[in-house]
Amino acid sequence: MEDLIFILSPFFVIGFGYLIGAYFEKQHYESIRKRERQTLHLPVVNYGCKQPLPEAREARLVVGEVVISPDAFKTFVLALRNLVGGRVTVYETLLDRARRESLLRLKEEAIAWGATQVLNVRYETATIGNSSQQGVASLEVIVYGTAIR
Amino acid sequence: MTYKPKEITEEVNISKIHPLTNLAQLLGTVVGVSLAIYIALGLAVDAIVPRIPIETEKAIGDSSIASAYLLLGGTPIENDPRISYLQELLNSLQDPEDKIPLTLHFLKSPIVNAAAIPGGHVLVTTAFLDEVKSENELAFVLAHELGHLRNRDGLRGLGRGLVLNLGWSLVFGTSGGGDSSVVGTVINLSSLNYSRSQESAADLSGLNAVIRRYGHGGHSLDLFKRLQDEETDLKVTEYFYSHPFSENRVKKLEKNADKNGWSMQGEKTALPQVFSQ
Repeated sequence: MEDLIFILSPFFVIGFGYLIGAYFEKQHYESIRKRERQTLHLPVVNYGCKQPLPEAREARLVVGEVVISPDAFKTFVLALRNLVGGRVTVYETLLDRARRESLLRLKEEAIAWGATQVLNVRYETATIGNSSQQGVASLEVIVYGTAIR
Repeated sequence: MTYKPKEITEEVNISKIHPLTNLAQLLGTVVGVSLAIYIALGLAVDAIVPRIPIETEKAIGDSSIASAYLLLGGTPIENDPRISYLQELLNSLQDPEDKIPLTLHFLKSPIVNAAAIPGGHVLVTTAFLDEVKSENELAFVLAHELGHLRNRDGLRGLGRGLVLNLGWSLVFGTSGGGDSSVVGTVINLSSLNYSRSQESAADLSGLNAVIRRYGHGGHSLDLFKRLQDEETDLKVTEYFYSHPFSENRVKKLEKNADKNGWSMQGEKTALPQVFSQ
């Protein structure tokens, strides 16, 4: 019986990870969609080097950062996916959430400052806490740009 | 050009597939492929095992003897008058065609069990000997274990166990499912469970050896019959934990004896004096 519990324990963790992870993901997406509508009025624009920049009184750096971690379910699916190869679809939402959340944070910061536009936005990604054995690394997304008003 | 905010509603970056469907597909693929590999490796093991030289079998067995002690929950006893008797009985039961030298390990353990480990190792526990009432029934159990050795069932089990272990560490990583040595033990324990056909083959080989020694099979199945009656006794059922119990095991043997013209009636050979002490 104890052996059985020992063998099954990873599956409990995975099931728990799925339920909790799916709940948080749903909540997060609701929040993302709502805030995206709220921040829609702020233009985020890229300018090439030969284009004239818009006139501004003030400019400042705005940064949005997110660190997001996969749940046990996603990690398990990734481990399985590592065996056969292919698209890790469960991680797509993770990356999508991190990317959108970081831009939202940037825009919210810019709006709070009173920006009329955010120029030349760039993304950076990194993994945090990457232990070489396990796929429990967290994903970090940094987005930065120049806010003007 | 004026900026007109427009909401993007389509989710191009997220696959439409449900995570659980995705998992089911993945699991299906992985389990299916692993099963195919497992079966293929099992067939390979079956093909290779009869060709393994005795020296290799000994090397494998010698390295796993310590974990076998652990499985039977005992420590080996060195000085006991019963050891030489058991060793002699064991040697007398060996098929003349078998070349492998036999080693008897007598373990002080509360677990009622006997086991055979590749390399000619036969393990018997003190608790098991306490249950034995005559030499005939003891001989049958020992000869049954020799039958496993003869058919190299232990090596087959080790082969599969190794494959299972490898698969586990591939999916969960060496430290994924906790202590990997524990996983290894669990898997080894389950691979000590021989299949029903392996058991009946060993049964038949065992009875054959008993007939060869005593000229009859009388009283050799008494222990089984008794264990069958006392099934409620937890200690006794431990033997059946590693030796799958089937009701018709005794019947099957008697039928086989009938077919081969073996007498199942005969005098009981008593255990030597050292046992009554």
